[in-house]
Amino acid sequence: MATEESASVMDDYEMLISTTDVELLKRAWRNEKAAPEILQFESSLVQRIKEQIELAEQNEEIFEANNIEPLTVSLYQMDLDRTQFLLRSYLRVRLQKIEKYLFYVLKTDEYLNRLSKQEQMFARRCTDDLGSHLDETVLAKLPDNYRSILKQSITSEEDDMGTRSSLNLFYFSFFFMCLNIIAIYYVCL
Amino acid sequence: MENYNEIDDILAEEEFVPVVFQKAINGVKIDESTEKGYIEQGSKTELPFWLARELHMRQAVSISVPACFNQKTRLEIQADAACVDLRSRCPYFYEFGSKLAPLCDKTIGLLLPYAFRIRYKKILHKAHAIAFAAASKFPTLLTREETSLYEAAQSSMAAFKKWRAGGPRLQRASILGRKRKPAE
Amino acid sequence: MAGQSDSTMSLFSSEEIEFMAEDEMTEIVPNLRMDSLNFICGDYGPFLPQLAAQVPLWLALALKKRGKCTIRLPQWMSVENLTRVLEAERDSHAFQPLPFHYIEISRLLFDHAREDIPDMYMVRSLIEDIRDVRFHKVETNLEKFTASTVTWKNMSAMEVNVIRAFAGRALQAFYKHDNEQQTPDTDRAQDKQPQSTY
Repeated sequence: MATEESASVMDDYEMLISTTDVELLKRAWRNEKAAPEILQFESSLVQRIKEQIELAEQNEEIFEANNIEPLTVSLYQMDLDRTQFLLRSYLRVRLQKIEKYLFYVLKTDEYLNRLSKQEQMFARRCTDDLGSHLDETVLAKLPDNYRSILKQSITSEEDDMGTRSSLNLFYFSFFFMCLNIIAIYYVCL
Repeated sequence: MENYNEIDDILAEEEFVPVVFQKAINGVKIDESTEKGYIEQGSKTELPFWLARELHMRQAVSISVPACFNQKTRLEIQADAACVDLRSRCPYFYEFGSKLAPLCDKTIGLLLPYAFRIRYKKILHKAHAIAFAAASKFPTLLTREETSLYEAAQSSMAAFKKWRAGGPRLQRASILGRKRKPAE
Repeated sequence: MAGQSDSTMSLFSSEEIEFMAEDEMTEIVPNLRMDSLNFICGDYGPFLPQLAAQVPLWLALALKKRGKCTIRLPQWMSVENLTRVLEAERDSHAFQPLPFHYIEISRLLFDHAREDIPDMYMVRSLIEDIRDVRFHKVETNLEKFTASTVTWKNMSAMEVNVIRAFAGRALQAFYKHDNEQQTPDTDRAQDKQPQSTY
């Protein structure tokens, strides 16, 4: 774990001297949107972007106080808007994925570990809400053996009602997609 | 059930298939008009695929080829697969066919990819055609799976054309402008 | 901001592709004096009247809309170059190298900087023609989907995006049909526990 971390710090460092954080965030956003499964949360990048957004917001107040030209102020505002759009869209795509593959993500450590603390909290709260909703509307009214939210019936040996299979199917199609299309998308960049 | 989360998979198994009973079965009726409370060996009827499959597994019935895969359909597909009205024959033509093939006639398994390959080309060209007449009857010939393919292409093209024509980029979220209900 | 592609989260909306295109660098000639802009996305300027500067397209367009600069038409958008590309595009099966965002960049410039484009109508119709010829190639490629000889090199962002949903579904369908043909489902018949068949 420690070596992995230091390796990624090195990578970050090398990227930093060549690329802006916005560029990195754009890359992360694009990858997240194109990938079928949830990717590792870019925690340090998101942290840095947040700080830069806060700084830009403070600058705006300073501009106003110092009577900086409205044109300049509006250009800074556009830059800020674009960065905020990227960040929001990045976070939102991840939340959509978590919602879609909720049970599978929660059950699989590999995926769960890719989420940020807040995303993990979101996933747990989603499950609780969904669970109690399904319980109240449907499951409580079924015979005892069929009340599990994860199993078709009490005789099921494993959880067989999550979206795992559709995720797998998704993988297959994307396996080909990657070969044929998405790969080209990035090669072209 | 093969795929618990696929509604289409479930619906495909609702299709009826002709069966012949290989055993006499007591305590059930397939024909309301008869007085007999059992099924004789050799009786014919039509059952939904999911039931026929279970009975087939227990060697209780043999499954015959349903109309949508009969000789006439096959000849039509061989003549010009792209023009055959598969939807009216079976909206789950491919799904149903692939489930059915191992149980009654393996050659169905060869017919499916053959038909799909030819029909795919026509879907590709029709769906992406720039000035495509909306009144065409082509989409009405398609199975569920083909329709989703066709619609994916059409909606991507429509979205692209809309973007190219320009217009406001900033979309107002539908929730904005709505008045909040006063809190009780 | 750009419209979010909602339910189909693995797809980009045209607006999102446009958003990415707006980061492409563009040459402008400002007509005002302005200090350096230290943006989150990078530093640009300082700007001096009549002195060409490189900025992202969104910034170029923002200044243009306020009458603060003229935009220099990118070299690839000249009538000579586009005529050459169109010819080559017609003569070959391969896609000619064009900027990855050529469709978006040209549309944005047509919409907001028409007076900076000499031969505007000519340029516009050349790009339309190029796009048509290329899209025809895309279709031909999709037709031969499973053939390994198909080349997608130099396809542009918008061209990829327009076929992404269709191609994804089609590949899924081909995968399914081919697999079913190779492995007729015989072992399932013995499987009485439906849940163990995953």
